[in-house]
Amino acid sequence: MQNVLTYLTLLFTVIVMQAQTDTTTTSTEAAPTKYEQGMRKAFQLWQEDKPWEAANVFERIATAEPDNWLPPYYVAQINVINSFTEKDKTKLTAQLGKAQNFINDATAISKDNPDLLVLQAQLYTAWIVFDGQQYGMTYSAKASELYSKALALAPNNPRMILSKAEWDMGGAKYFGQSIEPYCKDIQRAIDLFATFKPAGEFYPTYGEERAKQIQAESCK
Amino acid sequence: MKISVFAFLFIIFPSLLLAQATVSGTVTDTNGKPISGANVYLEGSYDGTSSDDNGKFSFETSEVGTQTLTVSYVSFEPFKMIDVVSKMKNLKIVLREDVNSLETVTISAGSFSAGDNSKISALKPLDIVTTASALGDFVGALQTLPGTTTVAEDGRLFVRGGDAGETQIFIDGIRVFTPYSPTTDNIPTRGRYSPFLFDGITFSTGGYSAEYGQALSSVLLLNTIDEPIQEKTDIAIMSVGGGLGHTKKWDSPSPKASWNKGSSLSLNASYINLAPYIAILPDRNDWHKPFETASGEAVFRQKIGDGLLKIYGAFDTSNFALTQEDINKSEGLAFKLNNQNFYTNASYSEMLNDDWTLFAGGSYTYGNTKVGIDEADIKDVENSAHFKLKLRKRFSNRFKLNIGAEQFLTDFNENYDEPNFAAKLGFNNNISAAFTEADIIFSRKLALKLGIRGEYSELFKEFTVSPRVSFAYKTGKSSQLSLAYGDFFQQPENEVLKFTNNLEAQHTQHYILNYQYSANNRIFRAEFYRKQYSNLVTYNDAMPDANSLFSNNGDGYAQGLDLFWRDDESIKNVDYWVSYSYLDTERKYKNFPIEATPNFANTHNLSVVAKYWIEDWKSQIGFSYQYGSGRTYTDLNEPGFLQNKTRGYNSVSLNWAYLLSQQKILYFSINNAFAFKNVNGYQYANTPDAGGNFNRRELRPAADQFFFVGFFWTISTDGKDNQLDNL
Repeated sequence: MQNVLTYLTLLFTVIVMQAQTDTTTTSTEAAPTKYEQGMRKAFQLWQEDKPWEAANVFERIATAEPDNWLPPYYVAQINVINSFTEKDKTKLTAQLGKAQNFINDATAISKDNPDLLVLQAQLYTAWIVFDGQQYGMTYSAKASELYSKALALAPNNPRMILSKAEWDMGGAKYFGQSIEPYCKDIQRAIDLFATFKPAGEFYPTYGEERAKQIQAESCK
Repeated sequence: MKISVFAFLFIIFPSLLLAQATVSGTVTDTNGKPISGANVYLEGSYDGTSSDDNGKFSFETSEVGTQTLTVSYVSFEPFKMIDVVSKMKNLKIVLREDVNSLETVTISAGSFSAGDNSKISALKPLDIVTTASALGDFVGALQTLPGTTTVAEDGRLFVRGGDAGETQIFIDGIRVFTPYSPTTDNIPTRGRYSPFLFDGITFSTGGYSAEYGQALSSVLLLNTIDEPIQEKTDIAIMSVGGGLGHTKKWDSPSPKASWNKGSSLSLNASYINLAPYIAILPDRNDWHKPFETASGEAVFRQKIGDGLLKIYGAFDTSNFALTQEDINKSEGLAFKLNNQNFYTNASYSEMLNDDWTLFAGGSYTYGNTKVGIDEADIKDVENSAHFKLKLRKRFSNRFKLNIGAEQFLTDFNENYDEPNFAAKLGFNNNISAAFTEADIIFSRKLALKLGIRGEYSELFKEFTVSPRVSFAYKTGKSSQLSLAYGDFFQQPENEVLKFTNNLEAQHTQHYILNYQYSANNRIFRAEFYRKQYSNLVTYNDAMPDANSLFSNNGDGYAQGLDLFWRDDESIKNVDYWVSYSYLDTERKYKNFPIEATPNFANTHNLSVVAKYWIEDWKSQIGFSYQYGSGRTYTDLNEPGFLQNKTRGYNSVSLNWAYLLSQQKILYFSINNAFAFKNVNGYQYANTPDAGGNFNRRELRPAADQFFFVGFFWTISTDGKDNQLDNL
């Protein structure tokens, strides 16, 4: 099974790699608050390819903003993304352990949040990529469950449609089954991305590029 | 008017309000090495920075007064200091290593664990079921680990020169009194419990924790799944029967009952009947009623606030009747068996305040076995229970304490009936025990576990004390050395207790030295051990009976070396392991006239297990080779006792799991593929023939080979899960 899962999950690295939210969005006319300044600085560091410094800033904001799920979400996301390529089990365990703590913190603030469910699924995926034989069976079932739950919570969120469709498509391809239904979902996601508005500044926005890329690679 | 004076000052000198203090210093580890990238900040403010390559940091803050400075870095314990901001200058911050991290030494002497949670897993959860020779029996998979001996005709675990009764099995920390289906000579038994209800398995071949008692040699700890992942239905159609499993989950019905955080139920039923198989491939036995068993298991889990309640129940009924060849009876020996077994186990665990964890659990076993041997009818009824209460206090990551108490109750009754003789036998065996154990981690390099256990036997009016100590030291980045010592006591078996209570507990001492190397998906382990037996039960007849003289005069020793090598890295798509055990053991027990090597102990044991994933075929091919050197037997034609040895045992098993689709698997397996002729021992005639020679008969397995075909289908909402992990 190892290879099926590795295959499935390599696709994910790409999607997560694009997860960095666009920082150029400036909405407020008034002087930026400390929160806005902090978040912008973090995204800027991230774009400058200093993910760990960005994570440190997000972590600081998280302590100052105990009721906002976004800072811990991004701390976790940076740790998850950087675990996909990590081969040292000690480091990997430490990073994913930290990511898990921050997902737990964020979940305590925002329950049944589909973006957090997808991030949790990506965390499991990082374990599967690292050692499919050991973690594949349990964690792939858990990830599947999370994608289904995320989509059920936000059936018209293009990112949830994309995440689940991509995960399912990997499995279908491997077993030589038709990927037609998932291509339809991808098309639907692309249509919805065109009008998608994040709930506010700094909310996750990734996914559109990835959806178009999958469509170009697999559905034409 | 003081207030307005202050206000006035602030208007004139607005910089007083925006006073910028500088927080600065360096971050190092305990060896003085700078840590770069550490997050340094004032808690609750936005002010902070990351330390640079020299571990230096400096940042401006507008915060004043007393604040909390936090320094955190992955795999180190976070540092916090509360002080006035203006004093936070040129700080020298030393971060301590987080001893929860993987690099911390673990006490590995004696134990193998399988599970996602264990730091170093010699076995992975899938192995229990994908090992070619195991046929889905977790005991079969454990028999490929070092420390076990090959006793193929029995099926139970024999560990380091101990007999099968010296290994105890626990489910969720609670003892299983009758873990194996009863059987007769030369028909191997299987574990009763299906592997897929468990997600953690720890197999200890010695030196285990003070929490576990009543086992001289070994403990096997099985943990049921805390929370199933999803709802699903499993269907199995096999050449020897069928199975059906279903899991249902309920989310918390919030907000009305806020204590209820969700529950789940898993049910599993199976039916096995060997009649069709034996009709096609007859074996050496004359079956009147081939082996038939029906079993059901259920696990219910309920989350209550921060606690988890688990209730496990298993029922099985099995029967068979056959005539086995016997050198003393030309017509053979008739044997029939009918067994009903019920086991239930409930446990509750909860995280309390102040880092206390509570565990409470209990189990009840009912076993009813009817055996017919020729004219004799024997009916055994066993009622047993076990209750345990345990508290764990985590003082820090470096010091944890366990305290617990438990009670074992056994009520055993036997009715023996022959045409001219009848007897009623029975006993009550109640044992009370208390234990405490401390886990102390001095640093990532050095850890110690200290425990003590006291037990009182009501039957023997005897109190025993067992100290247990283990110690681990990290010798390099990937290697470590462990030492363990322990005293272990166990009551004699039911076969003895039903005739006498004028005995004492049997006793062993374990001394273990373990070296472990683990890096890059490769594990090497070497373990030396010495086991000293004393107080073993002896008696003066061939079989114990009411007139036998029993005593605790037996003793013995076992010593040896266990080696284990596993490599999942060197060959692409191949995962393999090799186990070798060297065992030197002699003992005087039961009716042995002298100290001798018992017939279940062999000097050399070798297992090679390999799994090969073939991408293009969507198949996993499994291979397993077992070798056991010859076992002792008594040759009646020569002087001596257990003085001769059989030839070695060899068996190669193969399996093939083919994924038809994500949820359908076709599975084939064959045990002893090359049909090696194995002889497990000899049965000698009771009386010599005319020439003064005792004739003998080879004890061979009922069948040299075993074939298995199965189809496994999983139906789940997401269409992903399958039963590969059950095979």
